[in-house]
Amino acid sequence: MIDFLNQFFNSPVMQDALPPALLIAFITASMSIMVVAHRLSFLTVGVSHASLAGLGLAVALSLPLLPTAAATAIAIALLLAVLPNRQGINEDAGTGMLFAGSMALGVVLISSTSRNEVDLFGLLFGNILTVSPDDMQWIMGGSILVVFSIILWAKSWWSMAFDMITAKASGIATSRLRLILHGMIGLTVVMCVKLAGIVLTTGLLVLPAACAWFWGRSMFNLWWLSLSFSLVGTLGGLMWSYQYDWPSGAAIILMLCVLFTISWAASWLKQQYQKSR
Amino acid sequence: MSTPIISLSHVRFGPAKKPILDNLSLEVPAGHFMGIIGPNGAGKSTLLTIIAGLTKPDAGHIDLFGRCLNSKTRISLQENIGYLHQKHANQPDIPMRVYDVVTMGLTSFNQPLWHGLFADKQAEKEAIHHALTLVEMDSHIHTDFRNLSGGQQQRVRLARALVRQPKLLLLDEPSAALDSPRQEKLYKLLRKLCDENNMTVLMVEHDVAAITSYVDSVACLNKQMHHHAKKGETIPDEVWREMYGEHVNIVAHDASCIGCMPSPQNHSQEQHSQKQHNHEHHHD
Repeated sequence: MIDFLNQFFNSPVMQDALPPALLIAFITASMSIMVVAHRLSFLTVGVSHASLAGLGLAVALSLPLLPTAAATAIAIALLLAVLPNRQGINEDAGTGMLFAGSMALGVVLISSTSRNEVDLFGLLFGNILTVSPDDMQWIMGGSILVVFSIILWAKSWWSMAFDMITAKASGIATSRLRLILHGMIGLTVVMCVKLAGIVLTTGLLVLPAACAWFWGRSMFNLWWLSLSFSLVGTLGGLMWSYQYDWPSGAAIILMLCVLFTISWAASWLKQQYQKSR
Repeated sequence: MSTPIISLSHVRFGPAKKPILDNLSLEVPAGHFMGIIGPNGAGKSTLLTIIAGLTKPDAGHIDLFGRCLNSKTRISLQENIGYLHQKHANQPDIPMRVYDVVTMGLTSFNQPLWHGLFADKQAEKEAIHHALTLVEMDSHIHTDFRNLSGGQQQRVRLARALVRQPKLLLLDEPSAALDSPRQEKLYKLLRKLCDENNMTVLMVEHDVAAITSYVDSVACLNKQMHHHAKKGETIPDEVWREMYGEHVNIVAHDASCIGCMPSPQNHSQEQHSQKQHNHEHHHD
């Protein structure tokens, strides 16, 4: 075991992969409690798939990949915050439409360029092992923005998730903060796509908070728990990935699913125990 | 005369041809407890959302605490308003203790996280305890909000509205989830807050008979203000008919309450049993 850990932490691949992976784990854990509290998990599915359109655009117009994808994802997330309110379409249906539409655009754009340019498997399922220094800079910049927004608005967002009407009546600029929340979720999603890929990103943004939900009793409580689950899941997943040569994103999501099952079973057992007393 | 807490002049909401509220003017002084009654769809809740700054009226002017309510002043005016709405059907499933729910009502809550490092925790704690004591929920302070009954949740929400010690309290059917002893306690508490803290309360209720011995006045609303009865005045039968329709069956009430005494000629015409303690509005 000790040998394995030694090998794991000393391998050059992991030394490159661990910093961005842990940074993303920290950011996603923090945002995931907002995603779950605001019931925005479908938004993260929508935005992550929509980022394919951004990647398609970047490939077609030879723009830098991550920035273009980030801009597209944020634009789509903001559109989803504005569109349903104005036109009387519910958020669910709006997400479904934009999600399919932008994914279709992405597929068309990518298929019309030469195949060699795009690592499609990496895009769909993620590959943290190929983070370039440029990507790392983008992830750092994005993380700083997300952390800053959490420090400023976490409490207001929490209040809005609990009761939107009362939040507005107690003097919160709810429309503006909702837009910012959507934008920050968009940004987080793009950073995750590098780690977990388009298809698995939602897992990173839902599972940590879902694990914590059984045990948390307040916002800070949930945040600590979510952070612990996320870091353990990411580390454990990368170890699996290293040991068995599994794709890193999938291994992390699987580890988080295992943690969720344990957390759920433990809370069920606790309930049974309390009932029997 | 001191500035009124609420001053509405010619407020309209909805299209000019088919307004939801029309030509509404109203002044409410400090320390006044007003009940608002009216049939379903009369615009009672809309009126509260307009005063709370949640909905913009299509015409007219609103002053709160002597300051004009508009998009620029909304947030600072709202610091002095406590508001309890009635759309609690789909509350999300967030783990929160009663204490945290009430904390969200403090005006200092919506601040950046670093604010928490410098805040006066003891004062906040006392304010929260006090608000929960008022609604008799202090023994549940560490309970998970989701595990409370509907009535208990309603009382915690009321504590959340009260914790900032608002000058103006807007309540939309606050008694909906409460049993009748609890309702009485609630009205008594509101009366006390008006008398002792000079708080102004505007409360939408359906049951005029239940509130009448506590409030200072009753406003009858159906698109327009049909009548505004002060303590000791009656609401004429025509007003009831105008509000609820021709087929309303007016039942006489305990003579001591506002708005419920039948006027003398109706009293003889409609041979109803006296002292019966509820209204029968057969509206659709």
